[in-house]
Amino acid sequence: MKAVKKSFAVRNGTVEAVKGINLQISRGEIVALLGPNGAGKTTTVDMLLGLTQPTHGSIQILGQTPHQAISAGQVSAVLQTGGLLRDMTVGETIKVIGAAHGRPERVATVMQRTDLEKIAKRKVGKCSGGEQQRIKFALALLPDPDVLILDEPTAGMDVMARRAFWRTMRGEATEGRTVIFATHYLEEAQAFAQRTVLLSQGQIVADGATEELRHLISGRTVSATFASTDDAEQSSRFDQSVAVTDVQGLRYEFNCADSDSFALALLQQYGARDIEISSPSLEDAFIKLTKDAS
Amino acid sequence: MMTTYIQVEFARHFRDGYNLVFALLLPVAMYVLFGNIPSYTDTEIGAGNVKFYLMISMAAYGAAVSTVSIAGTVATETMQGWGRQIALTKMSSASFVGSKMIVAATVAAVSAAIVFGVGALTGATVSQGWIWGVSYLVILAGAMIYACYGIGVGMIFKSESALGLASGLMVFFAFFGNVFMPLDGAMLDAARFTPMYGYVALARYPLLKDMPEGTDMAPDPMWMMATNLVLWAIIFAGFAVIATRKAKARQ
Repeated sequence: MKAVKKSFAVRNGTVEAVKGINLQISRGEIVALLGPNGAGKTTTVDMLLGLTQPTHGSIQILGQTPHQAISAGQVSAVLQTGGLLRDMTVGETIKVIGAAHGRPERVATVMQRTDLEKIAKRKVGKCSGGEQQRIKFALALLPDPDVLILDEPTAGMDVMARRAFWRTMRGEATEGRTVIFATHYLEEAQAFAQRTVLLSQGQIVADGATEELRHLISGRTVSATFASTDDAEQSSRFDQSVAVTDVQGLRYEFNCADSDSFALALLQQYGARDIEISSPSLEDAFIKLTKDAS
Repeated sequence: MMTTYIQVEFARHFRDGYNLVFALLLPVAMYVLFGNIPSYTDTEIGAGNVKFYLMISMAAYGAAVSTVSIAGTVATETMQGWGRQIALTKMSSASFVGSKMIVAATVAAVSAAIVFGVGALTGATVSQGWIWGVSYLVILAGAMIYACYGIGVGMIFKSESALGLASGLMVFFAFFGNVFMPLDGAMLDAARFTPMYGYVALARYPLLKDMPEGTDMAPDPMWMMATNLVLWAIIFAGFAVIATRKAKARQ
């Protein structure tokens, strides 16, 4: 994709959902598009699939336009919302889309590989969120695509279903396919993608190996309430990694590398109370990265 | 690919039943009730009897309601993201809509055939045999314009219940379009502008064509009926196109 922008007309003017993205993905790569809601992930995916046209810039997949690549069955996708009819049975859904791809012979294989045979006669509306997502995944595998695009494939699933989904995914989708998936779960990017592209407010804020990204947002956030500001000041000199990130009255928030020993010290030496320890969220990472970028 | 799609569509509609009750059973039930119980229904009218006249009315109503409710699902399904799913395959949206139209036409054909069949069994008669066939074909062809109406309403309101409303409104159009009971005076004058008037009048034309002008129930001139049908066909088609564009722009 080159210099791609997309604006939407809304009631009070226009909103630019994607503000210029340049992205080159090689064959066989597994790439995560990571970002919070509203970062422009879905819009980017829709443009990749030719479902919306960019207002600016151009997109090529395997040397063709998205529309050509889809018609040729080389690209397929798991869409985020909807896309299934509640009163069709699972089997009918797969049969219909298989026929629409012109690949009816793939129906039986795909049903078996995605473990849908048992619920083939069930209506889609009676399937759980995880099962529906598996149906959509099966639909995406029907044309036996070279490029597989997934838009938040695990949205609305519980942890167990999410893990099961990625297990199937790993088995089925990685045989030489290029996989691009949008997600707002950092752990999914970590577990599955070799490369992560961080999107924020319609722009790429970081792009690199997933491993590198993880280091960028390492450490822990520790907050605690102190008896006096003196105690707090002293504690912030505990070791080099400790940095104060927020102060509200006597409530301090720190960033640190070794939260275990810091927390112990806070309790024993500095008389701190109400200690909370958390991993930095993806949002924190974004704030940090967008600050770094500007 | 369309064959598979159409097969599955039929399976769905038969399983669901709800749409089909209105499309298949209501018209024939109304024909049995209003065409057979009153004493005047064996009276001659035009080239046949009143039963034949009522049979055409109910079959036309049934065929039109069938196309509204089935074609309307194009809209509700598109809004549920099914349209996007289809857009990711080789199947064009034209063949998606085309498949739906074939299903709608088939259900309309079955609905009208049931009414005609029951009519034939219960004494609807006409002096010339060809009138059966021509009336039936006019009913089928004309019913397709209401498909556009169904799509338009579905696209604007995006819900299943809106489709129910669209079908319900067809009852109003039918009463006001001179379908269910003969109107006269100012009501009839106004009726000539309503969407079902030209359709049902054309379907009855073979039956009533030889009635002298000026007599009660005599048909309007051909141009009047045809203009009504064509104008409403254009209005509904335009409505469907505009509604679809609006819905797509908001997606």
